[in-house]
Amino acid sequence: MSATIALLGQPNSGKSTVFNALTGLKQHVGNWPGKTVEKKEGSFVRDGKEYAVADLPGSYSLTANSDEEVITCEYIASGKADVVCILADSSQLERSLYMMADYAGIKVPSFLVLNMADVAADQGKKIDTKVLEEKLGIPVISLSATDNKKYDAFFEAMNRAISNKSMINIAGLEAELQKVDAYAKIRALLPEEGVKSYSPTWLGVKAIENDKLVMEQLKSVLSVAEEKQVEEIRCTSKGALDTGNSKFAWIDELLDGALSEQKEKIGVSKLDKIYLSPFWGKPAVVLTILLGLIGSFIPALPLMGVGSAIDMLKAPVGSALASAGVSDVLIALICNVVIQSFSYIFKMLGFVFGVLLVFGLLEEVGVMARISYVFDNTMAKLGLQGKSVMPFLISFGCTMGGAAGTRVIDNYGQKVLTIALAWAVPCGAAWAVIPMLSSLFFGPGAVAVVVAILLTMIVHMWITAKIFGRKLVKKEDRYGMIMELPPYHKPKWGALFRYVLGRTKDTFFRVSKVVLLVCVLFWALSYSFTPGVDPILCKIGKVIEPVTKIFGLNWQLFMAFVASSVGKEGALGVISALFTDGSVYGAFNDAMSGAATAENLNDILLANVSKPQALAFIFAITFNMPCVVALASTYQEIASAKWTAKIALYYTLGALVLAMIAYHIGLLIW
Amino acid sequence: MKLSEMKPDHEAVVSGINGDARFLSRITSIGITPGCKILVMRNDRNRPMLVYSRNTMIALNRKECVGIEVEEATA
Repeated sequence: MSATIALLGQPNSGKSTVFNALTGLKQHVGNWPGKTVEKKEGSFVRDGKEYAVADLPGSYSLTANSDEEVITCEYIASGKADVVCILADSSQLERSLYMMADYAGIKVPSFLVLNMADVAADQGKKIDTKVLEEKLGIPVISLSATDNKKYDAFFEAMNRAISNKSMINIAGLEAELQKVDAYAKIRALLPEEGVKSYSPTWLGVKAIENDKLVMEQLKSVLSVAEEKQVEEIRCTSKGALDTGNSKFAWIDELLDGALSEQKEKIGVSKLDKIYLSPFWGKPAVVLTILLGLIGSFIPALPLMGVGSAIDMLKAPVGSALASAGVSDVLIALICNVVIQSFSYIFKMLGFVFGVLLVFGLLEEVGVMARISYVFDNTMAKLGLQGKSVMPFLISFGCTMGGAAGTRVIDNYGQKVLTIALAWAVPCGAAWAVIPMLSSLFFGPGAVAVVVAILLTMIVHMWITAKIFGRKLVKKEDRYGMIMELPPYHKPKWGALFRYVLGRTKDTFFRVSKVVLLVCVLFWALSYSFTPGVDPILCKIGKVIEPVTKIFGLNWQLFMAFVASSVGKEGALGVISALFTDGSVYGAFNDAMSGAATAENLNDILLANVSKPQALAFIFAITFNMPCVVALASTYQEIASAKWTAKIALYYTLGALVLAMIAYHIGLLIW
Repeated sequence: MKLSEMKPDHEAVVSGINGDARFLSRITSIGITPGCKILVMRNDRNRPMLVYSRNTMIALNRKECVGIEVEEATA
């Protein structure tokens, strides 16, 4: 590795676009150790040298208030980065340079990238990067990420920053800050050499802003009396308001002569007149998401076709293996588990690809911020951002797509919580089973069942938000919305495509691992290795039947419930196989392929299952873990085995509790 | 007066901001500081307020806006 670059910028500064453009498919997404914050790293090769890129968590400033900000500060201070690339939005230069002003005074080389130059140009703004460069003392370039050739300038600036070890000239900022009485007093107490990578100017600013990390650091260089003095002086100031004023005054000074703009005209675009309207806003957002959902199927088709093609391999591969004298067990394993799983994975992968592309596009052009605004009040009740409404709606189609859709949620805790809640939304496969079973058992009462399911879903989400929210979205982090609505801009197709392809490839590998593992396990438990002897799963089911009956499920229904964790489509197949003396193994196959129910399924069900049992079963499979692919994609998206396991266990137990409640209510009615 | 009491399409200058250190840091970092001009774009019930300041359209939660004091600009 010849150098490490860290990307720093406020949300909407185009940070992730630059990250994707630089690293392409070479990305790794994980978690910062011990924190519920996403860690994005990648690498690229340029002129034969390999560079590492760290995408620092999105935050508006460097004051250590949230986990994101603490991580960002600690990472920069650790000296892991050789150079920090600070990003700002050219179309809102004054405001978005705040991050640069907040960074000024940290002794790590940096350069400034003014992103979205195309949007600024459209608005009639002209920025002279040469003037800025002279005033700031670090390389400054303007970039419109639409154009890949412009990255030459990016690399040139980067290399210049590294070889010159260019630091921001903070004389102007210091002069502005000296006008603040409290700052001048605190600054006088601080050692001239600063602490680690922090200059006394930076430390003084953060002391005024009451930054806990900085106060901790100062303990090592200040006496107890001096520390107390700092506290006292701070109380005489207006904190971040004072230092903020100085920073913006400095920014104004910097932009004087560097930025020329026509008289701005503030208007609301036609699209915003609809999205931001108190009446039309919500319907427009819901419609946008639903159209996006339908739109996702178009790019999904090729991969779905691959999935179907793989499925057709089963018969020829099976007979080829049989004629080669391969044992029945192995053939079953290869055809019914491996090939079947990959067919399933590819079909789902197509959907993930489509969702990532379409909703990534909506994020890029600025629509997602409007969605956040419109649903802010509603979603805040669950401790979530307004954007969370999108994964919820997608989950009515497919939970895996919903999980993939949470990539636009920039707070990790809220992202995990959104997926945890999205699981409660009955997916397309559940909607195929619920009305059919309900109308069979309850006739016109089916409508009441569907309504009950929807109400249960809302209560379930509310309770789950309470249970998981406490840990994932801490109370002190539940701040009301303070967010910019960026101007609409053109998508960066190249970067978007590369990102979506990379993410789909990543999903494929991780999802395959989990799906194969789970499916082989289920297969081994449900396969009769000795003819005539019940498979293990069957034996267990029969033994624990007295327990499962409390939930209203006899052993056959419980097996179907277990199979529904693998794939909901197959739950009915399992029932029809088990009640007609078929094998559990065959039933499991059905669960994966979602086909093959007995023709006389209705009669079988009515003869063997009572109404309360049926009600219990409907609730059990609806609110069970959605399917093994949803499990795998949840793991892929949140990159935490611990949280994935917690959510899965919670849903399995929750479904049984709901089944029990439904069963006992059923017993009272019938 | 409070920012939340402003009518849409009216312009004001921020005269004071009250809140804890964290709120002050967040509101400053999005560009709203004492002395800056602010235009109210929308002020609908059950929605965040929508204001325009420093070239940026900003959505602000209503509860948080209570801490923002403004003086209406006389046009």
